[in-house]
Amino acid sequence: MMTTRSYWSQIALLALIILVCVFPFYWMVTTSLKTQVVALESPPVWLFEPTLANYREALFEDGVLRTLINSLIIAISTTLLALVLGVPAAFALARFEFRGKKDLWFWFITNRMVSPIVLALPFFLIARNLSLLDKHITLILIYLTFNLPIVIWIVTDQFRGIPYDLDEAARLEGASQFTIMRKICLPLAMPGVAVSAIFSFIFSWNELMFGLILTRTEAKTAPAMAVSFMEGYNLPYGKIMATSTLIVIPVLIFALIASKQLVRGLTMGAVK
Amino acid sequence: MRGQVPRRTIFAFIGPAVIGLAAVGIAPLLYAAWTSAHFYNLTKLKRVEFLGFENYWTVLTDEVFWQAMGRTFFLLGTALPLQIALGLGIALVLHQPGLTLVKTLARLSLVLPMATTYAVVGLLGQVMFNQKFGVVNQLLGGADINWIGDPQNAFAMIVFWDVWQWTPFVALVLLAGLTMVPGEVEEAARLETKSKWIVLRYVQLPFLVPGLVAVLILRTADTLKLFDMVFTLTRGGPGSSTEFISLMIQRVGFRGFDQGLASAQAIILLIITIVLAQIYIRVFYKEV
Amino acid sequence: MKTLRNLLGTAAVASFIATGAAVADDDWSLKKAAEPYAGTTIDVVFLLRPGYEAIEAMLPEFEAETGIKVNVIKHPYENALGEQVRDFVAGGDLDIALIDLVWIGNFAENDWIIPLADVQAKFPDVVDPDLDIDDFFPLVLNAFGGWNDTLYGLPFDNYSGLMFYNRCMLEEAGFDGPPETWQELKDTYGPALTKDGKYAFALQSKRNETQSADSFARMLWPFGGSFLDDEFKSNLMSDESQAGLKFRQELMEYMPDGIVAYDHAETVNGFSQGDIAMITEWSAFYSSVVSPETSKVADCVEIAPEPTGPAGRKPALGGFSLAVASQADEAEQAAAYLFIQWATSKANAREYLERGGVPARQSVYQEDGLEDFKFVPALVESWQDGVPEFRPRFAEWPEITEIVQEWGTKMMLGEVSTEEGAQEIGTRMEAVLDAAGYYSGDKPLAQ
Repeated sequence: MMTTRSYWSQIALLALIILVCVFPFYWMVTTSLKTQVVALESPPVWLFEPTLANYREALFEDGVLRTLINSLIIAISTTLLALVLGVPAAFALARFEFRGKKDLWFWFITNRMVSPIVLALPFFLIARNLSLLDKHITLILIYLTFNLPIVIWIVTDQFRGIPYDLDEAARLEGASQFTIMRKICLPLAMPGVAVSAIFSFIFSWNELMFGLILTRTEAKTAPAMAVSFMEGYNLPYGKIMATSTLIVIPVLIFALIASKQLVRGLTMGAVK
Repeated sequence: MRGQVPRRTIFAFIGPAVIGLAAVGIAPLLYAAWTSAHFYNLTKLKRVEFLGFENYWTVLTDEVFWQAMGRTFFLLGTALPLQIALGLGIALVLHQPGLTLVKTLARLSLVLPMATTYAVVGLLGQVMFNQKFGVVNQLLGGADINWIGDPQNAFAMIVFWDVWQWTPFVALVLLAGLTMVPGEVEEAARLETKSKWIVLRYVQLPFLVPGLVAVLILRTADTLKLFDMVFTLTRGGPGSSTEFISLMIQRVGFRGFDQGLASAQAIILLIITIVLAQIYIRVFYKEV
Repeated sequence: MKTLRNLLGTAAVASFIATGAAVADDDWSLKKAAEPYAGTTIDVVFLLRPGYEAIEAMLPEFEAETGIKVNVIKHPYENALGEQVRDFVAGGDLDIALIDLVWIGNFAENDWIIPLADVQAKFPDVVDPDLDIDDFFPLVLNAFGGWNDTLYGLPFDNYSGLMFYNRCMLEEAGFDGPPETWQELKDTYGPALTKDGKYAFALQSKRNETQSADSFARMLWPFGGSFLDDEFKSNLMSDESQAGLKFRQELMEYMPDGIVAYDHAETVNGFSQGDIAMITEWSAFYSSVVSPETSKVADCVEIAPEPTGPAGRKPALGGFSLAVASQADEAEQAAAYLFIQWATSKANAREYLERGGVPARQSVYQEDGLEDFKFVPALVESWQDGVPEFRPRFAEWPEITEIVQEWGTKMMLGEVSTEEGAQEIGTRMEAVLDAAGYYSGDKPLAQ
């Protein structure tokens, strides 16, 4: 039914969307393969002899590798912790009736809105008093402030969508609430759990401000590392882009693999 | 009775999360409230003095603080309409039938900007928008636009990256809304009228509203939080042209080291955030 | 006669001390002094700048000789103060403080660093008899390492503002030398050299420390202005200060657009690419602008002292010293001292210089074979006589520089006039100083 003209204009539009989304990554990767002299050519060059020197330098001389490992450890740990704490809470919010439930839910969600700078200052002082600066655990805990709300928001929604009759039947057979959650509801809520885990991971991986303020060397995260090349004296653009590529590519691959769940998660809290 | 369970059970389920979040979310706030009532400068810890509300008074009467706040909302007011307009356009294109393969590709590429580390977006901006060796000026036909060094252009650049990163989010949310419109209703409407606008306005829009509300809430919150991308791209400059509220607080607290004043600023920001969140959520999310 | 005898006596004592020192000299060696501290690790913050790369290249030698491990943590300049303050406040692991001259009042008043004499008294065996403290340029030693008549650090990464100029561009425009005065730079060189996308001059003015140090202060002093008057009130509204700030506005006509987004990197880069004829930059950039790998104009680079203003030549002064941190334990303190002493020593000055560092030792600049280092004469001249309080070095500087950076860039952008901006800086600066207790007499007026 489509006319050829609208067919082609549609293809052109879609191509434009793809191009705009992807081009910055193309530029990031090609710049990371340029030497400093080539990177500073004006106007920029599109064809050049690529070099891996920036990656070699970033990974093995400047210690980006270690910061990537730190980021991975922290993002996975905080995600798991958020799930362990958040899933039962979400179950309670979806299934139990109690006073102040609305306020509690609201409080959980509000944490998602709070600017990290509000917490960064005092958290720094507290961590300092407890000798927790530059430790993985510190970031794992503080990242709960945005991961826990995500888990609770999405998983509560998911639990609510499961027919109540199912746990009623189980309860008549004498199952505890915990068993009901684990055996009956959790398997059905798995998509929501997966989505919130993906979000938690991505947000934690990408976080900069806490990483910058609460770590120094031992627990330094990859985004904090990328920023540390920005010396006013000399901007090694190739190396900065190589580090950026190393940080972004894993999370992009992960996001692409999980894109179905991701899109559903975006819309879950939103559309319902 | 549905949902009646012993208190102990409720606590067992919800207690750990509450305690956990209180420890990392509320304890620091109490500490911030304490520092905000004191002269508390990291480089002058020998002299910590109780000031009462003096820091708050300083903040509330500081035009620089309100300028940063105004700038933050101006950014929201500029970027969000663009994101919604472009996002809706993209959603409508993707919603049309046919071309499945290309559309899958487009949907996949929409995921990329959202997942990108915000700090890296700023670094990319530095490379791509450089006046001399940036690719943006080259693509504009060898233009000689000074993006980073001109207040207006720098602001436009921030808007560009915010739109680049978050339009996909809006598009995907709205697309999900569009797919919720029952097929028969949409088809019936299309038989009635040829105007796409009427279909959009009267048939599809009601299904888009919840998504738009969520977008409004999340984008407001994220704009108030905006730090990473601007920090790596312009650091708030030139002058103060891109100094948004979170950047300003960071500067006072960690560059000027006046944690007392910065805490007062942070708490005022928190109050504004909570009030906005209250309004949004109470107005639009009546359930729960 | 009596006087003569006295004189002879003094000479004898002097020669006795000298011989004694020489004897001790034979005994003292870095290796031996470091023996008790072998295996100690010391932590220090370094910047990503030539002087640090130079010493890093020399480090293996030190580590092999002493068995002390130096753990270098690299930060960009703009993060280095925050990182160190947070570390010291938290009682962290830094054993050496890297002190920009404007941080010294702050670090000293917080007792984060130990006076040099105290360290030496505590660990007499680590003191090199050949330390020769008088060999440092007195201005540099006093400004970078000293606060309130106490010496804390030894000058390590040392700068003076210099004028870098592109001889080829100047010759092409018919000039056979650099401008002698700022006025000449603006009135004669400016119009002649600003054309076809090239600019006569660039003044790095980004809203960072570079705005206060390299841009704002650089225009105050040569015109007779200053930040503060004798009573520590703002002097920015004085005719002299205003003249300097207005001059800066006028000079912008001959600078690239968006100069308020230029940090050192952009400025040096513009010069190295041949787009800018003259810059006033730190001596530390010399190695970068003359290296063919990073500079297209390596063969055209010449160095001169900064131009003079109505109040004379007041070149920018900046640089870093290293001091022992009080939070370090005993062994770390001794090891840290050994490292600082070694890195700034007379014996290593030449190698440091050749690897791209700029030592503050007078003796090294008297040696032969320095013709390749074209910056030396101008540098030595600048260090003879400078303004230590070019930027005030008191503990309040970190707060004040934020104010200067904000309103200084607004001035340049034309968002406020020089008077409005100066008024605003003055009010806010005085509020900070008042809170610190300078006006109530609680604090001595030292900058």
